[in-house]
Parts: sequence; C-alpha cells; structure tokens
Amino acid sequence: MRTQRTGYWVGFVVVLGLLTVAPLVLPEFWRRFVTEILIWGLLAMSSDLLIGYTGMVSFGHSAFFGLGMYGTAAALLALGPPNLWLALSSGLVSAAVVAAFVAYFATRLRDIYFAITTLVFSQIFYVIIFTWTDMTGGENGLTFSQPPFSIPGLGSGRFTPVTLHWFVLGVVTLSYLGLRRITQSPFGMVLQSIRENEARTRAIGYHVERYKIVAVMLSGLFAGLAGVLYAIQNKFAAPDFVLFLVSGEAVIFNVMGGMGTLVGPVAGAAFFLLLREAFSRFFPEYYLIPVGVIFTLMVVFLPQGLLGFLRRRLNA
Amino acid sequence: MTERWQEEPWAQDLWWSGKTTRRRFLGLSAATAAALGATMLVPAPWRKAFGQAKPYKVGIMQPLTGVAAAGGKTALVGSMMAIDRVNKTGGVNGRPLEAIVADYESKPDVGRRKVEKLLVEDQVDVAEGGYLSNVCVACMPVFDEHRTVFMVGVCLDTTITTTKCSRYVFRPFDYAPAQAVAFAPYLVSKLGKKWHIAYLDYAWGQSTRDAYAAEIKKLGGEVVGTTGIPLGTADMTSFLSKISGSFDGFFGIFFGANAVVLATQAYDLGLTKKYRFAGDGAVAESTHLPALGQKVEGFTGINRYIPVLDPPLNTPYHKRFYEEARARLKQIDPSGPDPDRYVQSNFEAINFLKLGMQKSGFRGREDTMKLIEALEGMEVKESDDFPQGDKTLRKEDHQAFIREFIFDIKNNKHRLLEVISKEKTFVPPACSFQKA
Repeated sequence: MRTQRTGYWVGFVVVLGLLTVAPLVLPEFWRRFVTEILIWGLLAMSSDLLIGYTGMVSFGHSAFFGLGMYGTAAALLALGPPNLWLALSSGLVSAAVVAAFVAYFATRLRDIYFAITTLVFSQIFYVIIFTWTDMTGGENGLTFSQPPFSIPGLGSGRFTPVTLHWFVLGVVTLSYLGLRRITQSPFGMVLQSIRENEARTRAIGYHVERYKIVAVMLSGLFAGLAGVLYAIQNKFAAPDFVLFLVSGEAVIFNVMGGMGTLVGPVAGAAFFLLLREAFSRFFPEYYLIPVGVIFTLMVVFLPQGLLGFLRRRLNA
Repeated sequence: MTERWQEEPWAQDLWWSGKTTRRRFLGLSAATAAALGATMLVPAPWRKAFGQAKPYKVGIMQPLTGVAAAGGKTALVGSMMAIDRVNKTGGVNGRPLEAIVADYESKPDVGRRKVEKLLVEDQVDVAEGGYLSNVCVACMPVFDEHRTVFMVGVCLDTTITTTKCSRYVFRPFDYAPAQAVAFAPYLVSKLGKKWHIAYLDYAWGQSTRDAYAAEIKKLGGEVVGTTGIPLGTADMTSFLSKISGSFDGFFGIFFGANAVVLATQAYDLGLTKKYRFAGDGAVAESTHLPALGQKVEGFTGINRYIPVLDPPLNTPYHKRFYEEARARLKQIDPSGPDPDRYVQSNFEAINFLKLGMQKSGFRGREDTMKLIEALEGMEVKESDDFPQGDKTLRKEDHQAFIREFIFDIKNNKHRLLEVISKEKTFVPPACSFQKA
C-alpha cells in the first residue's frame, strides 16, 4: 500500500513537472493546445465525479460549463477595470446557481431519466442564451478583454501564453487534488456506494437524494470553473458551449480515458483532441470516420479506457 | 506460404489474433500517436524547395463538417475558383497563391483553434472565408492579435462591421441595413403598406428584422406584428398558424433548411396565397428551388446575387463566372445546382485580396498595414474579378456597398425585377476602430 502511494506521488510529480515545462519547449500552437486540453480535462474530471463515482450520466455539464463562461463574461464586461478574481467568482457563482437548480429537480430521477432531464435543462439554458440576444449576444456570444493576472497587494501583469498555461495548470491541479480528496472522503465513499447499490445505501440510512444533490452541485461547480478558464483563455463566450453536444464530448472523454479515476478523463480529453486534430489535418472532411472507428474499437477492446487498469492505484 | 495471409509470419504482429494484450494495444496506440504527432510537429521544408516563387499562403476557414457543411462546401468552391484563376493568370506580384483550408466543424471553439493554427503554425499571409457569423465573431480577436487581414466570405451578422468592427477584418459584400434600405421602398410602394415579419429568432434574424422594420416605418409603412421562430425548428406550424389579421404582406427572414421549411409550411397554411410573400433572398436561393417547387412561386426577394443571365447580368464576365461555377458545383453535387451568393462572395473576396496585395506591393504579413490601407476605400468595377458588379469597400467600417437585385420566382426560376445601384444602399457607418 505504502509503495503504491509512493509510486502514485512520484508519477504525479513527474506528470506535473512535464506539464510545467511543456509551454517552454513546445511551439506556440501546441503550447496553447496543451492549455486547452487541461481545461477540457477539468470539465471531463468534473463529470467523472458523477459518471465514475456516483453512477449518474449527466448531459447537463455543458450548461454548467457555459454558465461559467457567461458569468465570467458578465463580470468582465460590466465591471471595470477587468479583474481576474471577480470574473472567476462571478463565473463560479453562475455555475453554482444553475447546478443547484438542476440538481434539485434532476436528482429526483435515476438512470436514463436523470440523463434526459439534465439534457433537457442544458437545452433550456441553450435556447434562453441563444435567443436573448440583448443580454447574451445571442448566436454571436460575447467577446471581451483578457483580465490581467493579479495578486492583491503584490501587483498585476498581463497573461502571456506561458503564464496563462501555468495559471490553468495550477487551477486544474488544485481542482484535481480537491476532487481526489472528496472522492476519498466518507462523503465520496457514500457516492461510490450509491453507484454500486443505491437501494442498499438508502436502506443503511443514508439520505441518497441529498448526497446526489451535493454531488451534482460539486460537479457543476468544477465544470463551471473549466468554463471560467476557457473564457479567460479565449476571451469569448458563445451559446454553442451550452449545447448538450459539449456534455456528450465530456462523456466520451470519460469513456476513452477511464471512468472513476479522475485523471483518466483528462487523458481521454488529451487523446481525443489530439486524435481529432491529427486526423483533421490528413482527411479534412472525413476525419470523424477514423476517430469514430478508434472510439468504437476502444469501447470493444478497452472498455475500461486508457487508464482504467490503474483505477485502484489512482484511488489509493 | 500459408493459405491465409493473416497466418504469414510478417502479419502475426499486426493481425489481431485474439491475443490483444493491454500492453500491446497501448504500445501500438502510443506508436501511432507518436507518428502522427511527429508529422504534425515537423515543419514542411519541402514546401520551400518547390517552385521558384514563394507562394502567398491564403488561409481559408470554412465549415466542411457539422451543421453548416453544405454551405461551407459551396462557399469553398468560390474561393478555390478564384485562387485557381489567379494562379492561371500569373499569380499576384509574380507569386502564386497557396490555399490552406481549415475545417472548423461548424463550431466556434474549433474555429478559434483552426485560425490559431493557420496564423501560428501555417504562417498564412492573409485569411479568407467564414460562414457562420458566430465563428467569424469568435475568431476576429485572433486576427487582431496576430495582425493579419481577414476577408470575410459569407458571415452576415451586422455587428462584424459595426459595434465589433476590426481594422483587420473586411466584409466585401452587403449586410442587412443596406439590403433594407434597398428593398423597403419596393416593398412599401409596390407590394403593400402593412407587413408581418417572421424571422429566425437569433442574432442575424433579429438584427435584420429591426433593419427592415425601421425602414418600412420610415417610408410610411407599418409592421403590424413579428414572429420569431427558433433556429432548426422542424415544424413551424404552431408559430405560423397564429399569423393572421389585416395586413398586406408576409416577410420572411430565413436561410438554409429553415427557409425551405418556412416556405413549405407557409404555403400549406395558405399564408402565401392570402398575403404577398416576400423576404430575404436567402429564402429562395437557387439551391432551394428544386425542393420548393411551386410553393415558392411568386416570392419576391432581394439578393446580392441571382443566377440570371438577363440584362444587366448578361455580361461576358458573369457568363464565364456562372458557367465555371456550375461546372465546379456539379463536382460536389451531381444535380448541378446554379451558383448562389456564397460562391459569388467568396470568389470576389479572394479577388479583393488580390487587388489589395497588388496595389500595396504586399510581401507578407509584415506588410499587413499597407494591405489594409490599400483595401480601405477601394472602388472596383464590374469585371472578371467582380462579376456581380461595381463595389465600394468603405474605409470607415470596412463594409462593402454593392448593387442589389430585386427578383421574384416565376416558373421555379429567378426573374429579375429591379436593380438597385450601390449608391442607393449606403447607410451611415457605425464603427470606431481600436488603434491597430
């Protein structure tokens, strides 16, 4: 057990080190690409809390992600001068409010009914954002300036691609450690118990609905955080990110990377995005076919995903 | 020799024999990923080795997959037609144009990433294209950041050359306020004073509705009601059945498959018989006519381009453009549709770039400001480069003003009713550029 833990932390430090050095050695395009992978990885990790640990497939994560983006946009456009921490707080509050709303209604249902309800909620938010042009910019979304990186009392400076990468890496790492702590806590154990046998968990005396509500809210909060990071990196918010297809991609990242591992979905996001980028260069119009074939093969031959075989070690 | 090739020794390592181990799978995956990654990371020195003159790299972004794929492929025909023609006639400043096409999958996030790739990795000199306005708007800050000219090929959203205008972005075709100024006098004087507007309920539909409502009102007409219909609504009956009352005309602001649904269901509900049916030219694009049949008969619209060879469009320039575009479209659609405004505007967008590059002595991205200055205020005449007609690319907002065609549909074909000169389409600029 002790050796496993040491191995885990050595691996963690090595990967973190590589990701820290990456922007210094990679060409400009790939530097930005790796940052984006981390952001999509955080979204995938947030949905893993529900899919992998609680056994609830959500198609509402696009709403949390999108509202995180729009909350950030609202703060950056309405308040001057642009402030990173206010933008971050605004995005998180927006995502949290929506997550609480969705959680309250959706967790009364189970299995496919839960999935469909979350999908319906994300569509509702999509339609509101898409048609409320005066407030949200409608189809075009909102564009804004990137806030400077600031530490109260110490000063501030503009983000460069390298410092932005490090900022995103820091946030994603802290989120990972936070989520890992949550999943290993007694609360996390109850979530896993719900995944394994909901009826028995209820029979033991746990208020399953409350646990599910908190799980959806936590998951939504981290998805919103991913939305905040994406908005800060790309300086825009668009309704397309609220569409359920984004949630579908998060599910694909989980399946490809390995559910119930937290880092698996990040690896899944990296693998999927790299695959898509690579094939789109060689077969511009037909690249989704090989991507789809590889995904199907993985489901058949590697049902646990890329890192599924490390599940026990990663949760040790 | 064995009977089955899978049993040959060389195939043993490749062919799945039911012994796939996780290690082998991961190893093969890693090797594939590494090979692909290496191909992507390594620059392409061979490109420089070919040819005497270094080509200008033109980045073209279009949605070749996803919801807007059909339109994106049509638009690409226009760009490629212009590039091939430029290269056949000696190139620009003695250098050929090299098209680097990026498919943005009809998604703004992919669009931004692809534009980054074009600008950072491919080091394109200029960019052209776009189709979905939301992707154009999302990508505009990237062109600003990398100080590269982007000639919009299709994106219609008004704000591209008004509130969100950029010194690096040009729109070489019309926009809703200019169309409304051109069409409203005809609507009010010849078709009726009272109108009901049905529109696609999102940014483009809403801004176009506002432009027409304001112009109709200014000319003494009245908009008695408006109906917003969400994008992608497969059954519009519930919206259209509520449209009734005393008014003269029913005005539709729709495009693509939505336009086909609107025209079909408005006809089925009797709206197009009871009221005069008019609207944005996109309702009756040439590609829609076979599907609509007689249901769109009598529709009156305005468009920057219609596939008609009657005067004044019977010029040799237009005939050449029309014939080549038809031949190229047949390669992607065997039914051989007529060219539409997407082919025309992308064709002319490349030609604007060509003229700007010639005028400014453009060498590469370091001369971007010279190119911008050359394009600003450029006046062009009807020619092989601009078969649609004369144009002014206004300096103040980088918005083009062009002649418009008012038409109706007769016997399932466009019939030209009136030509509105570009001078009659001018509207005041509403843009203030940030310092470039």
